[in-house]
Amino acid sequence: MTLPVDDRELESLIELSRRSRARLERLHEVLTSPGHYGAGATQAQVVYAENKLRLLRLLDDDGQPRNGPPVLFIPAPVSRYFILDLMPGRSFAGYVAAAGFDVYIADFGVPTREDRFCDLAYYVDGLIRRSVRAIRRTSGAAEVGIVGYCLGGMLALLYSALNPGTVSRLALLTTMVDGDVEGGIAWIAHRMGLAGESYEQPRLVSAIEVKSWFEMLAPGSNSLIGRVSDLWDRLDDPPERLRDVRTMASWVDDVVPAPGRLLAEMHRQFGPGRNGLMKGEATVGSRKADIGKVSMPVLSVSAARDTISPPEGVDAIRSIVPQAEIVRLRGGHVGIVAGRAAAGLWPRVVDFLGDGNANANANTNGTGTGNGSGNAAAERADG
Amino acid sequence: MADETPNPEPTLVERWLEEQREWQKTTLAYLDSIVRDEEFLTHLGNAMRGSLLAGKPYPTPVPPAASAPESDFADRLDQVLFAVRELQGQVADLRMTLDEIRAEQGKSGTDANPAAGNSDEGDASDRAQRPDRMQRVDR
Repeated sequence: MTLPVDDRELESLIELSRRSRARLERLHEVLTSPGHYGAGATQAQVVYAENKLRLLRLLDDDGQPRNGPPVLFIPAPVSRYFILDLMPGRSFAGYVAAAGFDVYIADFGVPTREDRFCDLAYYVDGLIRRSVRAIRRTSGAAEVGIVGYCLGGMLALLYSALNPGTVSRLALLTTMVDGDVEGGIAWIAHRMGLAGESYEQPRLVSAIEVKSWFEMLAPGSNSLIGRVSDLWDRLDDPPERLRDVRTMASWVDDVVPAPGRLLAEMHRQFGPGRNGLMKGEATVGSRKADIGKVSMPVLSVSAARDTISPPEGVDAIRSIVPQAEIVRLRGGHVGIVAGRAAAGLWPRVVDFLGDGNANANANTNGTGTGNGSGNAAAERADG
Repeated sequence: MADETPNPEPTLVERWLEEQREWQKTTLAYLDSIVRDEEFLTHLGNAMRGSLLAGKPYPTPVPPAASAPESDFADRLDQVLFAVRELQGQVADLRMTLDEIRAEQGKSGTDANPAAGNSDEGDASDRAQRPDRMQRVDR
């Protein structure tokens, strides 16, 4: 039957109305269902606290700590820690814990005004060193495996250079060491004015400013129209997929302020044109961080589509840590730890931490790798 | 036997009217959630900014007044507060060292755990940098 023109218009209007209403109903369903609020997925106890830092020890299903070799996860202090423990079934740290390791996560918390004076020494020779010390005391182990993510990997590398005897194995995930490689968050931050950040009179760099640097890597994500349009299109997705997106949004959009002194020092030492790590000139406080002393087994993982830490800048570690095992995975900066590409990373890290002999009693089936997701900005940033 | 009359297809106008009724239900569901759940408005506001961020408002630019340079007094107060944070860390180091000494004494020095007994490699550096830290605060 052929409808008259007016009827066809009404027919298409009804269809448009129905689809729009269905999207709004889907949005309502997602917004009214419990979301992830950044509390971490795995039950944990605080075994050490200092300033905003909470050192979390993951517990098993019975609420008991595990007895395996200790492993410390160090996230970037300029973002929230729970990307490493995102949600049940999508927790990297939970996966490693389920493999039998005694897992700890450093939650650096949210810096406030006085924390703008925090520098590299405060993090590396203060918070991280004492965290490792607390872990060694708690676990009774002489050495701790460390997994550093992004800037957290940089801190882990510097710590390992200063205290090599306390680190059994070091896994660095998307940790940029060559500051002269163009692109990436450090380069963008440099272009956006980080070079003018004062070490002596630091600011607390606002969350929105930090977020704007990441958005520069994801063209369009800083546009309100672009973001709303993306979300509107996504509302056709199934609810469980949207809940994943919501969980990821709770990390991507919940950026924390950054200590200006730390950023200024990072830029001064390791930024474009300085490149102190590659030149062997890195210092922490008054001490030289001799990367040559990083003698433990090292795994460095880059992500092929990483726009935050370009893989060339990550893989360059092979020239300063010759024994480092270099792995490049498909996926983006966030995707390899908490998205689809995590399926390639998690078992590899467990294997590395276990020296190729992952715990025989490991039960990693229940943790899965999830669906992977990311809001528009994250996925764009992932490349 | 009565003839079964199949339900006639709703006319376009009927479907349009039904669609309008469904819109009323959707609108009422939103209004209901706004009244019942304070956080729903925050979540809705985030969605209107294109984000499904949960539990807190989407970050917005800091008002110029809030980002104005701190007064000298506030700045010095922040430095003092940060120095207290650093001291807190140093005290934690001392406490851990004391605990280790106690543990070693408790074990009579025979089966001391080498990990717990290690004097941490970082202790010396912490002590070394303390004067520098204090200088920084004094400025």
